[in-house]
Formats: sequence, C-alpha cells, structure tokens
Amino acid sequence: MNKLLNELLHADVQRHTRRHFLQSAGFGLGMLGLGSLLDACGPSGEKTTATRSDAPLHVPHFAPKAKRVIYIHMAGAPSQLELFDYKPELEKYHGKDCPAAFLEGKQFAFIQGVPKMLGPQGKFGQYGQSGAWLSDYLPYLQTMADEITFLKAMHTDQFNHAPAQLLLHTGSARLGRPSLGAWAVYGLGSDNQNLPGFIVLASGGRQPDAGKSVYGSGFLPSVYQGVQCRTGGDPVLYVTDPHGMNRNMRKKTIEAINEINRQTYEDAQDPEILTRISQYEMAFRMQMSVPDVMDVSKEPPFILDMYGVKPGDGSFAMNCLLARKLIEKDVRFVQLFDWGWDGHGTSAADNVEGGLRQKCRLSDKPIAALLQDLKMRGLLEETLVVWGAEFGRTPMQENRNGLVMPYMGRDHHLEAFTMWMAGGGTRQGYTHGQTDELGYYGVNDRVHVHDLQATILHLMGFDHEKFTYPFQGRNFRLTDTAGKVVKEILA
Amino acid sequence: MNKRIGISVGVAAVVITSFTWSPPWFGHQVDYNTDVKPILNKHCLSCHGGVKKAGNVSFLFEHELVQPGKSGKIPVVRGDADASELIRRIQSHDPEEKMPKKGTPLNEEEVDILKQWINEGANWETHWAYKRIEEPTIPSLRSIRNGFGLLNTRDLNWVKNEIDHFVVEKLTGKGLSFSPEASRATLIRRVSLDLTGLPPTEAEVRNFERDTSDLAYETVVDRLLQSPAYGERWTAMWMDLARYADTKGYESDGGRTMWPYRDYVIKSFNQDKPFDRFTIEQLAGDLLTNDKGGFPTEENLIATGFHRNTMTNNEGGTNDEEFRVAAQIDRVNTTWEVWQGTTFACVQCHSHPYDPIPHEDYYKYMAYFNNSRDEDLWDEWPKLRFYKGEDSARVERIKQWISQYDPGQLVEKTQFMRVLEPKINAHSFIKGDASTALLISYYGVKDKGNARILPVTLSGTGSVVLNLTTKAKNAVLTLYLDKLNGPVLTTFNVPDRDTVLIAPITPVRGKHDIYLSLKSTASPEEWVRINWISFQKPLPGAGQPNYAKVVADYAGTLTRPAESMPVIWEGKGDFARKTHVFVRGNWMVKGAEVRPDVPKLLAPIPSNYPKNRLGLAKWIVSRDNALTARVIVNRFWEQLFGRGIVETLEDFGSQGNEPSHQALLDWLAVQFMEQDHWQVKKLLRRMVLSATYRQRSETTREKTEKDPYNRWLSRGPRVRLSAEQVRDQALACSELLSRKQYGPSVMPPQPDKIWQSPYSGESWITSTGEDRYRRAIYTYWKRTAPYPSMTTFDAPSREFCQSRRIATNTPLQALVTLNDPVYLEAAEKLASTMQRRGKTPAQQLWEGYRMLTFQPIGSRKLKVLLATYTDALSTFKASPSEVTNILRYGSEKSPELAALTVSANVLLNLDKVVTKE
Repeated sequence: MNKLLNELLHADVQRHTRRHFLQSAGFGLGMLGLGSLLDACGPSGEKTTATRSDAPLHVPHFAPKAKRVIYIHMAGAPSQLELFDYKPELEKYHGKDCPAAFLEGKQFAFIQGVPKMLGPQGKFGQYGQSGAWLSDYLPYLQTMADEITFLKAMHTDQFNHAPAQLLLHTGSARLGRPSLGAWAVYGLGSDNQNLPGFIVLASGGRQPDAGKSVYGSGFLPSVYQGVQCRTGGDPVLYVTDPHGMNRNMRKKTIEAINEINRQTYEDAQDPEILTRISQYEMAFRMQMSVPDVMDVSKEPPFILDMYGVKPGDGSFAMNCLLARKLIEKDVRFVQLFDWGWDGHGTSAADNVEGGLRQKCRLSDKPIAALLQDLKMRGLLEETLVVWGAEFGRTPMQENRNGLVMPYMGRDHHLEAFTMWMAGGGTRQGYTHGQTDELGYYGVNDRVHVHDLQATILHLMGFDHEKFTYPFQGRNFRLTDTAGKVVKEILA
Repeated sequence: MNKRIGISVGVAAVVITSFTWSPPWFGHQVDYNTDVKPILNKHCLSCHGGVKKAGNVSFLFEHELVQPGKSGKIPVVRGDADASELIRRIQSHDPEEKMPKKGTPLNEEEVDILKQWINEGANWETHWAYKRIEEPTIPSLRSIRNGFGLLNTRDLNWVKNEIDHFVVEKLTGKGLSFSPEASRATLIRRVSLDLTGLPPTEAEVRNFERDTSDLAYETVVDRLLQSPAYGERWTAMWMDLARYADTKGYESDGGRTMWPYRDYVIKSFNQDKPFDRFTIEQLAGDLLTNDKGGFPTEENLIATGFHRNTMTNNEGGTNDEEFRVAAQIDRVNTTWEVWQGTTFACVQCHSHPYDPIPHEDYYKYMAYFNNSRDEDLWDEWPKLRFYKGEDSARVERIKQWISQYDPGQLVEKTQFMRVLEPKINAHSFIKGDASTALLISYYGVKDKGNARILPVTLSGTGSVVLNLTTKAKNAVLTLYLDKLNGPVLTTFNVPDRDTVLIAPITPVRGKHDIYLSLKSTASPEEWVRINWISFQKPLPGAGQPNYAKVVADYAGTLTRPAESMPVIWEGKGDFARKTHVFVRGNWMVKGAEVRPDVPKLLAPIPSNYPKNRLGLAKWIVSRDNALTARVIVNRFWEQLFGRGIVETLEDFGSQGNEPSHQALLDWLAVQFMEQDHWQVKKLLRRMVLSATYRQRSETTREKTEKDPYNRWLSRGPRVRLSAEQVRDQALACSELLSRKQYGPSVMPPQPDKIWQSPYSGESWITSTGEDRYRRAIYTYWKRTAPYPSMTTFDAPSREFCQSRRIATNTPLQALVTLNDPVYLEAAEKLASTMQRRGKTPAQQLWEGYRMLTFQPIGSRKLKVLLATYTDALSTFKASPSEVTNILRYGSEKSPELAALTVSANVLLNLDKVVTKE
C-alpha cells in the first residue's frame, strides 16, 4: 500500500470512527487525575479545569458573532396574524368565503370544503423607533421592538407538527438527523466543563410533538445531543444522590472508583479508562452545578418579578430565567420548548382569542425580561435569541369536519409565518419580508426554514455548505441541499 | 514476551513497509480498486458520478469512461494518457478548464497513478465486495515466516484454528505479535458475556479454573451455545437491525403488539435455525405456504413482522399513501443495510454517488416489496389474528363446514379469518357527499352521503363482507354497480355497533366501480364509519340446516376482538401495485414503471426463482450473492471483537472502510455457507475457539502506538458492555435477575415523566414481581421515549435500522450506574450476600469484587475499598436515620449493611465491571 492510500485510509478511519474522535478529544484528560475533582468541589462548581471533553472538531469558517444561542420554540404554532403580521384587509374579509385560489391544490391538516376568512383578533400598533407592528397580545415585547429583527415571510414544507418541527430543527422532516443545537456544540464545543453544552427546557405540560429527536444528535456522536433539564424531579436524570448518601460520601465513592480504575489502567493501558475517570469527575461536577444553576431561589426579588417567576413553578417564565443563567455559565445552546400554542378553536385553551391571549400573558413578560436581562448584563451582543414555531396559521377560520368551531381558530399554515431574532449579530429594529394583503403568501423576501438555519449557522461562524458530517457515504449538513444566508438581517 | 523476537519482527516490518511504500508505477501495474478508485472518489465523483454528471462526464460506470462529454472530447483513451481529456484537464493551468473545478488539485503522485493506469489500458475492476466470494488459501505459518528467517515454534504453539493463520500473517506484516491467552476467569467472563450476554456464575468459573482437560474451554463454549440465554443475547443485536419497538412511531407513537416477533427471533437463534432460512422467513414468510390448509405456518408469518417494524403515522391530516411509501422505502433501505451492507438510501434520489448502482435499480428492488397490503392504517392491518379457546373452536368449526361443502374455498376463508385479506381499506374510497375521513384512515358517511369504491373484480364473488361502526339507528346502506343510480348490488340495515356484516350481492362478472350510499333519517348527524369492505364467494352449503349459524359464526369470528400482530401479506390481482421510479426521490412525481429486479452490480437472480419477494430472499442467501455472507459474518465478528473486519458494518461499498483481513473474512464467509450451512452457532464457535479471540486484552505502549484500535488483533477485545449487558449483569451478579422468557414486554421502574408524548393516553405502569427484573431485551420499547438508561448507553431509538452502536463514554452513563435505583437495589442485594459470606469487612469486600469480576482483589484496590467502607460506616453510625434511607429493599437495617451497600455501589461502577476484558 502506498503512502497516499495510507493517508486516505487514515482519514477515512477518522471520519468513520466516532470513537476515534471521542478518544482523541478525551485522551489524556484522566492524566490530570483526581486533582481536578477536588477543584470542582467549590460551592458552585464554577472552577473549570483545563480539560476540554467537548473540544470542537471544527474551526469556525469565520469569527462567530453569536457565541451562544437561546432558541425559544412555541410548539403548536401561535398565530402570526394575531401577534405580528397586521392585515387590515383581512378584517374586511372577515366571515366571507375563502377565495378559491387559496384552496386549489392545497392541503390542510383540518380545513375542509370552503372555510370563511377570519379577521385579526388583536389590536395592532407600531412600536419603537423602528415602528414595528405588534398587537396588544404582546404589551411587553412592544417595549423591546428596537432590539428585534422580524422575519415576516417565513415558510416551510410541512403542515403537521412533528415533521414541521423536525424540518425546522434538523433540516429534514424525517427522523435521524442532528438538531441545530447538536450541530452548534459539534462545531463550537462547550466552554463549560461542568454543564452539558446543549440544554433543553420544556414547559406547557408536554414535550414537543416530535419528541427527543428535535434536540437529538442524529448521526453525530451522542455527546452532542441536547440534555433535557427537567423542572420537576431530577433536573438531569439520576443527578441526585440516593437517599442516605451525602455529598461527602458521594465524593469519596467517586474518588474510590477513579482510584481503582487508575490502578486498572496501569495493567490494561486502555485509554478508554482515562476517559471514564474524567467522565466520573464530570458527573460529580454536574451533580453540583446542574442543581445549582437550576435553582432560582437565590435570584434577587426584582429579577424574579421582572420575569414573573415563582421559584419551583416549572413555568415558561422560569425557563426563560434559567436560560439566562445557563447562558451566563457559557452553555452553548439553550433550547426552550413551550407546549400549547395550537389554536384550532377546538377548546377554550386552543384558539386565537382568549386561549392565545392567555398563552401570551404567560410568555410575553418573561421573554421581554430575558432580552432586557441579557442586555443589562452585556450578554445580548454575543447571544442570539430566536423566537418562533414550526409553521404559522391560516387567514381562514378552521372548519374541522365541515363544522363551525366553538372558538375562533386557525388551521396550520406553511406558506407564511413570522419569526424573530435578537442579539448575536442580528440587525436591530428591522423587519424583513412581507406577506400579501390577507397574510396568505409571502410576497417579498421570503425566508425558508433552511435559510433560517443557514443564517443561524452563519451567525455562529459557519458556512452551512461546508459544515458537514460524513454518514452513510454522504456528507450531510443541517440545511440538507438548500439554504441561503439572509444577509439583510446581519448587523 | 520475548523481547528479541519483538524487536526483530519490528525490523522485518520496516522492510515490508518500505516495499509497499515504493511507487506503484515502479515495476508493477496499478490496481484500479486500491490505487485509482480512491482518487476518483476523492476528487471527481461528487461532480462526475451518480449525483451530478457535470459536462455529461461521469466515472461511475465503466462504459462512461470512454464516452465523449459535452465538449466532444473523450475522458479516457485507453492506452494513451496524453490523448485523454481527464489527464489534460487535471494538468491544465487555465482556470476555466482546470479540474477539479473547486477543491484541492491532484498532487503529482495522484496524477502519475492516473496516467499509468490509462497507459496500462485503464483496466476497470469490480470493487472487492461485489465479487463472488471465493475460498482463499489458508496462509501457512511456515511460508509466512520463511521469507524473513524468523520461523520458530511459538506461532505453531499459539494457533488454535485457521482464523489464527490469517491473523498471524497480518501481524507479522505489521511488525506486531499476538498476546498470550487470557486468564481462565477473564476468558470465561468474556465468552459468557459474548455468547449469552450474561456473566458466568461463580461455580462455572470455579469449574473452568479446575478443569485440566484439553477440552475445558470447548466444554464451556458448547455449554454456553446451548444456554437459553444465547438466543436472548443475539436477539439484542438483531433488534437494532430489525428496528424492533413496541410502538408505532411518529408523533402519537401508540402501542402495537410486536413481541411475538421478538420471541420468534429468540427461538430461531436458540434452535440455531440456519441463517438462510431465518432470512427467507423474515423477508417472505407469507409466501411460504406449507401448512395443511395452504396457509403459511404461524411461525413463518410472525417472522414477517421484521418488515412490519416500520413506523405508522396516525397524525391527523397525514397522507396514508405518503407514509405507506415511506415504509416501503425503509424496507428497501433496511434490507440493503442488514444483508448487503450497502447504503442504498442515496439511490432513492439519484444513482449511487460512488458505487455503480443506477437510480432505477432502487425502484426495481422496491417493486419486490411494494405489493405488501399494509397502507399506513390507524389499525395497522394486515395483522395475524390469534384465536384462543372458544374463538379457536369456532374457527375450526367453520373450516370443517367449508371442507365438507366446498374444500376449494378453504384457503380463501382461512386466510380471511387469520389476516383479513384481501380487503379494500375504506381510506381508498373516493369521497362523495356528506362524508369525511374518520380516525385518519377510515371513511365516515352520514345521511344522504355516498362514496365511490375504485374498480373491483366481481367475477366469482357473491357476497360482501363489511366492517363498520356507528351509533346511528336504522341506517340503510346500499351498494350500486357502476354509478350512483346504477343497478343495486345489495342493500341492508346497519346495526348501531361495531360489527362485521355479510350480505349476498347480485352475481356480476368483470371489474366495476361500486357506489355506496347511506340513508339515515333517524340519526342524520351520526357518522357511520366504514373500516373495510371485501367481496367474496358466499360460504358454501347454502340451504343446509345450520347454514345461517355458520354465516353468523363467520361474521362473529371477524367481529370479535382477537389478539393480533402486524404482518406482511402480499396483494394479488386487484391488490397488486405498479411500481414507478420516483423522479429525484419524490413519491409524488412518478417516472417510468419498473419490474422487480436486483441491481446488475451483483450476480443476477436465477431464472428459476419465483419473481417475487420469495425469489428475492432466496437470491439474497444464494451462494453467488457476493455480499450477504461477508456482511453477516462481519456483524458477528464485530460483536465479539468490538470492531468489524470491515469496520463500517453498514457500508461495504467503495466509500466504506477497507477490510483489515479480507482473506479471513472471505474464508469465514465460505465456511459459513458451505461447511456450517449457515448455522450461526458453528460460526461463533469457530470464532471464539480461535487463539485470536482468547488473547489477553491488556495492551502495551508499543502495541497502542503501532495499532491504537487493535485493528490487527495483537490483543484481545476490551470494550464497554452494551446497554443490555450493563443492566443484565448488575441484576445477574446480585442474583435479582429473572430468567423468565418470552411474552409481552415489561416495564421495570423508570423515573416519572419520561412518557409525555401528546395524544396518547398510554402510560408506563411499573411491572411487579419478577417482571421488574427481566432481561433488558424484554423492556417495553417506546420509540419517542425509550427506556432512559438504554439510550444513555448508546441504544438507538429504533426508528430506523442501525448497524452499529458507537460506544460513547459520558457523564450521564456514570449517573445511571451511580444513582439509578435499579443499580442501588442491585448494590443492596449484593451487599447482603457479601455480608453473609465474609466475617470481616475486608473479606466481605473481597467477596464482592469476586462476585463481579471473578478475580481476587489486589491489596491496593482492597485498601481503597476498605477506606470507603470505613468512612461510610462511621457516617451511618453517627446518623442512623441515613441507614434506613439508603437500605430500601431488604429487611435488615444495619450501619454495616448500609456501608457495604455504598461499597457495592462503588464496585458496580468499576471500569473492570462495565467492561468486557
């Protein structure tokens, strides 16, 4: 075999062997031995060691503007027509039959036959220097309008929750691809050795429709998957010591495990043992740092008020505050999911009038507080905040099974919806894209979810076409075979 | 180790490698597969291959090489590099012409290789894995060593079987040498975990250590191969490939009955069913009609559950056809991955980017699967119904009646009672007035509503069998021929419940549209839900006494709920489907119609094989199939050695890794087919009896430097236990493990709030009694929320076939074995035994270490354990309330047992315990 082939083979082995990567990243960590374990026993576990168990594999293609991301996903999809996309014309059509052109060849999740048009339920006004349109559903966000870039003509390919969420977060409507957060940590590594680089917080009583796959690692090594911190029970599964075992005893047991493993290493010489030693150290540190960072009781009252949090309530507001705390600790990617935005009009909770108002009441204040808090702490500049859902809602009123719904509701809509971003190198006080006068189609500056992904990666320093991972004989990327960076929204 | 030999082998290696480093054009011909193809893959094929054919030039298929491109120039002129456009372009300095257009230019060596290759005639060669498997010569130890004058008897003493000859040959070439045999305790633990997934018992270790006969190890191996645990262990591997789960997947992810398939796999491994038979049953069991009634055996039909492990989408508004197609595509991809070790998924959208497989071949292959009757229905039909007790007796009575009056109908009616096929699923009705889709897959119709049923062949039928559900009172359903006001076929009253109705229809010949309409004036707002409809011969024996009762029994049999599991059932006649190429993989854009066939890349399908899935399955396991035996042998090898001879188990193509020991792989594959007759136990026996397998796993700095991943096998495998093994071992060593086999999946304790999928009322109900302690293979598998400690230890979600679990090493794993109550219960149980066996703490800890590792503990390790114990003991003595906190399972509550439990918790987390050494 000649030298060239040797090289090729070597490169190939490296590409195909995740284990190699894990080893090369982890090798030698254990050499630091038990000292680092003791270091981490400080009160908050903040002392970071020189070890980098999640060292990045990729050097960014250019300097990242967004070093961290908070991605807020309203699972179920709120109506853009009540919140952001003001359509006075739609008001005039309220109660009239939907034009045939909107229905031909279209498929909806529930709408059947000819539905009626539904006028906007919110009162709209323009806010901030930028004059951004926002409704009275969002009184707090109104005050932050000048920090935000609104994307008014988002569109997607999927009209059901699970596939649309997968498309948005993994670039493919089918299962099996890594999520945005996993790509981010794969690319940039983690700057905190006591916490996972990608943390997920869910509220609203349920998990996102597409389950763990929306924050999974797909074919990337499993260390990159989002770790869900739960707000009830253990914040991370099994992070709490068993009853009857105090911290000191746990420390001693882990020291004993690591010491015996170190002796095993002397005989076996298997580098995997060294990795195991360092991972037990990490586990111990996480046992301190995860409950610590998840505990908001030490936050000053004015902060709790600002977010509207009662400690321990497991609310969306609490998760916003936790997101700020995690970002402060240099967690790379924080993903929030809030369930219960699917306003079909089927019940008092699921509609675009009272139900949507109530969801906004629970989330508007904490989101505005999060932006303000990040700004106050000088974190917003390098933290990208993304808000949105898997799709939007129809300008037509839903008529499930041809019936009149008990409440005002709208069906899933993939042609046009609104998302927004703030911080992390985005333009401030800017609105991008426009929909037609009834809010059905984007008419200019449409942004596909793949474009959004390309843009987020760009802000994190990656060229989405070059940021790939070889799997099953193909180089995969987040944006699949599409995606264009939305240059206009870059600061 | 003999130092001098080690060193001299090293010198020899330098000599050898310097030979191989000499340029290929120096004295011998370039080899297409090893020299040329990698260059083309690296620089050319992404634009000039299966995905794009830029400038109308491609290097994917041999014939394309010599075809002029858009420019009219010929890329490769055989024998004349200077006249070849390929060479001109890669050497060009003109930025408009230079190739590759983007990306790194070829270096001088690469250019020289391509030139020499063309000058030598541009020989094209099939990739090694696509060539028929021929039996290689077993390397003779004498000849290996003769060349270097290093022959000694050491190799001859070390080798146990042919495998070792191949391994020694490579080791010698790499300047490495093998390791001695592992200690008896290590070896029996390794082979027990490998063959049965469970550690040995202490008695088994003791017996082996004391057995001085030459056959001691073989005796152990043969005992393990006969153990019922053997089938469970290998089923754990197969479940990832079969993407087995107890739920349907997608958003709602509701439950499905699939465990009979899991039990089928366990039994098949335990019986050592030949792998070719095992393959045929799973891929085409429904086409093996070998029971008396002309119906497949229950076992064969359950086997087809393999391809019913595809997901079913129950979300509102989803298109059943889209997800039916998605399941077909998954079947094609999975079959290729499991048996052919080839990533076929990319061929769905375009020709294979790197291997010569054209786009249409994907759909020709899909045509074999496309007639399966499943259609992404909410209820997942077709399903095999299991009748018990009186239901079973009733079925037998009906069959007897048919045998008496018209035996010719027996097959049709048995089939319908067992799988309810063939039938028209109501979701395919064309929507008429006052109707809607109900439960996604069914047809709802109200008063004055109607529907069109796509053309049905009515010749030879005479009755309609219909399944519907309604609360409507006195509704009347009428079927018309050809149009809504056409001749009436039948009309009948609809009972207000869930039922199967049977009604005679006017005899008609030929294929017709049928229209259905409903009058329901009493309950105009109630839906009548039609689930399916079937046109059949009436039951024979009309006019005989009791005829009405038999008809009622038949309807009752079809109405009454029966336990059932999804199976594959081939659609024929009206129910056969045409298969088209999907243009760029889009199921909505249909291209040319295709007939079933296998890719030309591999040996053709013999003409005497049936032209259906059965023929395909036979072809897959035929002697001439170049891939199957290699791929399967490699899978078992990987399970034992921690890495495959081809490391990319899922990709044997030109983008996969080269085999480390191709001759060995081929030799094993030939033995497997010809000597072992596809019996896996014989294959595994051969592997574990080799000296290669029995080596010590300890490494040295020298070995790690020369071969960090043990590719050349100079030492035994040392790998972390699988997710299943971590759990099963903890339960087994603490004597908690239940050995109960088979049956519905169980729900051992897991934390609250793991199951939170929307729209499913199902919940985790913790099993009681011994079901808490069953082997991991029996744990209920929900795709959207698998058992947490399984996924933490790298088990996949089983949404798709996965060949390899890439072992990770994460803090979350540490948290599981440290804090999961399962491991604390095991620790407490282990501690009780330690306490019983030893008088002093030191003795007790010594016992604990031995119960988990089967080895005596070294004094330094014991010292560490003792310190932890002493420290814990004083803590528990100081605060007795903590004793009852940590001891939650047994009746004894002493500080000593509490401290031992903490020590056992340490033991269960040791690297030596979670690793197979």
